[in-house]
Amino acid sequence: MRTKLGILLSGLGLVCLALPVAAHHGFDTEYDRDKPIVASGVVSKVEWTNPHMRVYIDVTDKAGKVTTYNMEMTSPNTIRRRGWTMNTLLPGEKVVFEGYLGRVVESRGALQKIAKAATPDQALFSQEGPDADAPGFPTAKPR
Amino acid sequence: MTKRLVIAGTVAALTFALIVHSHAQQPAQGRGAAPAAGASRDRDLLQGDAVNGPVPRMPDGHPDLTGPWKGGGSDADMEREGGLKPGELVGLMLPWAKELRAKREKAIYGEPYIYCLPMSVPRVNPYPWTFAMTYTSKGLQYIYILHETGDAGAHRVVYMDGRPHPADVFPTWWGHSIGRWDGDTLVIDTVGYNDKFWFDAVGTPHTEKLHTIERWTRTNYGTLVNEFTLDDPGAFTKPIQMKFTARLVRPGLELMEYICAENNQLGIAGGYLKNDQGIGSAPPTPK
Repeated sequence: MRTKLGILLSGLGLVCLALPVAAHHGFDTEYDRDKPIVASGVVSKVEWTNPHMRVYIDVTDKAGKVTTYNMEMTSPNTIRRRGWTMNTLLPGEKVVFEGYLGRVVESRGALQKIAKAATPDQALFSQEGPDADAPGFPTAKPR
Repeated sequence: MTKRLVIAGTVAALTFALIVHSHAQQPAQGRGAAPAAGASRDRDLLQGDAVNGPVPRMPDGHPDLTGPWKGGGSDADMEREGGLKPGELVGLMLPWAKELRAKREKAIYGEPYIYCLPMSVPRVNPYPWTFAMTYTSKGLQYIYILHETGDAGAHRVVYMDGRPHPADVFPTWWGHSIGRWDGDTLVIDTVGYNDKFWFDAVGTPHTEKLHTIERWTRTNYGTLVNEFTLDDPGAFTKPIQMKFTARLVRPGLELMEYICAENNQLGIAGGYLKNDQGIGSAPPTPK
């Protein structure tokens, strides 16, 4: 049962990630669009830094091994304009997220979407690629 | 208990995936694309009928070009964004420039802009910028062009006091700019560029012979057109005319602080740089 669900989840994840990513300097050299990730984990750090924000998420696999993913977002200014405050996403919070992993360093990724695990239908962040001029954060509901 | 958690987690993830998928169906706005006035999906921009309102004016009668604006230049691909046909710009390049562009397209880790160096003219990244019109007792004497990011903190100055270009102009990132009014159009003439910046992310090159003419016209309340002349006999066979459009940002949106070099980790995920200690960062400050 778990296997079937896992396959279904992976399939859906791949389908939903098979969307065009905005061409931008850096994306294809840094990240691999053939390495999508859909996972849940616990935020360990939120870096409000330029040029881009980074969210560090601890993901535990079935064997109990923890991998910390360093997920790149867009600029803090863009995120603030979308309504985030310093308290929108905090260390210790459980999240579901998706993105693309680094071409070489796979613990680094480009964050595409993130939501709190308790409210997965309320994406806090959504974009097509690092620094993309993402016009819509359609589901963002910052608290 | 574990099984229940796994199922609950899977259901949550499935829900998330479905929602994500549904949102992914919404059409994406291409970077550099010029949306119809008043119909932009970029929520940073002024929306609705206000876009089509009259052009506001300064006390001296000139159009108020302050903004802030978004867009109005090249960024990802100058040829497409400047309104040229596919292959047209490359077709006008001298052979060495064509070769260099082909090399740069495959080596985008060489792009100065991604290391927080200035994007220069006519590039405009997707962040707001402003024409800071500086009046003194003598009237409009300078226009400072300030970008939220992309200018490396340098302030491009356009001299509006009637001075000519210096005879011995020194090559710099932003060059030497002089401006004048042609009716309601601000005309900026710039020489003295260095050859270090790229016009766009695909590496369209130029030389120190570059001379640009920007003709900025605010055509309505929310729109600023940049008719751009690229004149570089060192890289192109003839002067090239392009057109870019900037859009006014929504009320209340201001330029914010942006220190690009603070924590630029570019190159690590792709394996280009091995250092994982915070590229571009100063050493941690003791607390």
